[in-house]
Amino acid sequence: MKKLSQLTLPSQLMSYGFLDPSAKRELRRKLLKAIAIPGCQIPYASREVPMARGWGTGGLQVTLTLLNSSSVVKVIDQGADDGVNAASIRRFLAKVSGARETTDTCKATIIQSRHRVPEEIMREDQILVLQVPEPEPLRPVEHHISAARQMHADANYARLWLILYEQMVRTGRIMQATEYPSLVNGRYVMSPSPIPRWDVPKLHMARHLTLLSAGREKRLYAVPPFTRVEPLAFSDVPYRVEDHAHLTCSRSGLKGFFMNEIPKDDGGSHFELSDSGFCEKTLRRAAGEDVSIGATWYRNGVMS
Amino acid sequence: MSYVAARGGEQAIEQSERLYRERLGTIDATRVDAIARSLPWLVDRIMGEASLYAPRLAALALAQSGGDLYEAVLLLRAWRTTQPRLAVAEPLRQDKLFTHRRISAAFKDIPGGQILGPTLDYSHRILRTDILDGAGLEPEPVEMSPEPAPPHQPSLASWQKAQGLVVDFERQDVPKQDIPDLTREPLLFPAGRAHRLQSLARADTGGLMALGYAVMRGYGPSHPTVNELRLVEADVEISHPRGTVFSAGRVRVSQAEVASKAGAETIDLGFCATLGWNEVKIIAGGTLDLNEPHATKGSPFEEEFFLSHTEPVEGAGFCQHFKLPHYVTFQSTLDAMRDARRKQAEMASQAAAEEPAE
Repeated sequence: MKKLSQLTLPSQLMSYGFLDPSAKRELRRKLLKAIAIPGCQIPYASREVPMARGWGTGGLQVTLTLLNSSSVVKVIDQGADDGVNAASIRRFLAKVSGARETTDTCKATIIQSRHRVPEEIMREDQILVLQVPEPEPLRPVEHHISAARQMHADANYARLWLILYEQMVRTGRIMQATEYPSLVNGRYVMSPSPIPRWDVPKLHMARHLTLLSAGREKRLYAVPPFTRVEPLAFSDVPYRVEDHAHLTCSRSGLKGFFMNEIPKDDGGSHFELSDSGFCEKTLRRAAGEDVSIGATWYRNGVMS
Repeated sequence: MSYVAARGGEQAIEQSERLYRERLGTIDATRVDAIARSLPWLVDRIMGEASLYAPRLAALALAQSGGDLYEAVLLLRAWRTTQPRLAVAEPLRQDKLFTHRRISAAFKDIPGGQILGPTLDYSHRILRTDILDGAGLEPEPVEMSPEPAPPHQPSLASWQKAQGLVVDFERQDVPKQDIPDLTREPLLFPAGRAHRLQSLARADTGGLMALGYAVMRGYGPSHPTVNELRLVEADVEISHPRGTVFSAGRVRVSQAEVASKAGAETIDLGFCATLGWNEVKIIAGGTLDLNEPHATKGSPFEEEFFLSHTEPVEGAGFCQHFKLPHYVTFQSTLDAMRDARRKQAEMASQAAAEEPAE
């Protein structure tokens, strides 16, 4: 007769990387499926994590599944490494996995981000995990998840084109600011998460893998390396990124990147680089430190 | 520079948590036990919403969150999801439930009898301010009935089925490992019956009440009658690897069956059950279940609407997330708005220039 101790594994108070093996196994399978069908939303169980829904629980689950002790992790919120929620997520990731923390895009192996793609070009050996509040690009035109799934299956995106056209007729331009619907690999329209329009071209034919995960809505999808990501645009009305090319960062003096506008007391504004890690490296280099700065996607304010 | 800022951020997080905890004071096992003893209905409510039957852990979650129910439910759910699923219990059968309370509004009396059990339904809700002046509220001892109510009761629906009043659907024997489990699978629509009932079982009490109440007020076609409502203790029966079935303990369960009078020949039944004793939740949930087949597309009484929007962890979390900075999105919107204004102004000045002189 077997003893009880032979039938059971030694008790572990917490699994490595917090999530238990069954959750990780499901996520890995769904991630592979998402990579195999670029842009297609794959439902997953989306377990509860020790953070409130809507605070990056989808990104967190993906990152926790991919992390190992040799990983170097960077977490940004609205472009900043020092946002309170980014700091809290980064601390949690490092604590449960033993991964090293960084604010340097070039040094990270995995970058979890809320609503920005870093300005420095990401490499083949890096993964970008985007937090997604609303994975369904069709939600503005179709509230029912079940009906939207059917529309994706039929590649029926007519109503999306229609709302973009209506915006143009009403205001003279396409008003969609962030979450700009984009066609992936010529097949599925995805929401690239609320990244600014500035960042969407960075996903097109990128060297890195992008994983997008919505914890609350229980959907994940992927843009594999070297995959087409084309924002929906009309042939005679080209896609336009934010008009930030001429703005200058008041801290670093850099020009031609996505900026945060800071209102001033005198009624005007000044601008700061939204990518805080990039800004910090520029400042350190200016102060004489030997800092390596990667090539950027935009050069002189133009996507290269 | 940014390092300082990062540390500053972490310090701010640390200190704001301290401010919160300062208000709660020292939390120890004594406080947890006092909560478990004095607030059994609240403990039951959050055990249902957490879908975790663990009264002491639920009391701990309440202590730790200072009674913020959404926080408490999240604490329990986040703990629960890391636990292994060791076994699947035997299905519960109505006539094997240890029944504390069981009533039907559909008949004056029912086979097995109406059993009031513990309830405040017929009490006068008078706030006992004298307690604040030092009086004690010692519960009066319950007088034993000479004839104790039978612990097990038949289900009213089985009588109705025998009469041909309720359709007797064929019982589906699903292998235990194949029973869908919402805690490990995403909810898709249309949801399977199992997923719908599981989702109702862990739904937010207040959310279900609001939507269920709206249906009852006439926004849905079927006015509910409580066919049978039960508060029970159920044995969690587990099969030992050698084949013996044994009870691993008892859990409090509530279940409601609500009937519609709308059917022409048979009575339609809606059903809702949850862990813990929580009557409002199951009556509202049963009413939503009952009305769902007749819900018009796009109404709040469609399963997709009410299940999606009564998820306490998801709903509360999303409400909270709007406190996070959204300045990148805002910046992007401003850019489009300013450009649109510029365009409108250009068009207006162009139109003015083209206006022929009088």
